[in-house]
Amino acid sequence: MLEKERKFYDRKRAELVSQHLGQFVLIKEEELIGVYNKIEEALAEGARRFGLQSFLVRQISETSEEEINIPALALGILRADSPHSI
Amino acid sequence: MPILHIQYDGKAQASDGKVVQVVVGLAQSFTDQLLQQGQSLSQPIARNALIDTGASMACIDDSAAQNLRLPAIDVVQMTSASHASIQQNVYPIQMQIVGSPIRVEVPRAIGANLAAQGLLALIGLDYLQHCTLFYNGLMGEITLSI
Repeated sequence: MLEKERKFYDRKRAELVSQHLGQFVLIKEEELIGVYNKIEEALAEGARRFGLQSFLVRQISETSEEEINIPALALGILRADSPHSI
Repeated sequence: MPILHIQYDGKAQASDGKVVQVVVGLAQSFTDQLLQQGQSLSQPIARNALIDTGASMACIDDSAAQNLRLPAIDVVQMTSASHASIQQNVYPIQMQIVGSPIRVEVPRAIGANLAAQGLLALIGLDYLQHCTLFYNGLMGEITLSI
């Protein structure tokens, strides 16, 4: 899911970090649609352009992967792995 | 200030003391745009959610996300018990606790297989950061306000 968008983001990350650190980027396939101050603005613009299609919205940061901490899933108290495609 | 007050039976260790019923749907920023375009939306789903103060982010059951036709807006890496690291979709949702007007936008909810545990969602710190939560184990009470 969103492979093109994620690869495109990784290629552009250094440039985005230097100019828009902390803002939210909206990417569809290999096109940078825009950079926004709030995530809600990025989501609204994505919904306006692409409806219910998937697109990438991510906060621009120096780290490539966001760290997710959900012990109930990580420890197997609840199961994380989904049977649905990613 | 909207308040939800729950009094549960039994000892404080009872897990259902931290389970509340929620209604989950597509995030408001999405629904506003789609309604303007005349698109139809899936009906929100109501089921149980677990208040999980250890979770940094809210989670939604992946099957429910498919039924709601939620668009994935990112993919994150998450450690699980059975795999070193797995990829999970991220969905923009809105979650309201039933019996209260406490409705919060959660623009980045993590997809996970929660249905097997009878759960629709985990209420994580990104949701709770908008609330005041009192957990009174002695009295068997939970109070949530916003």
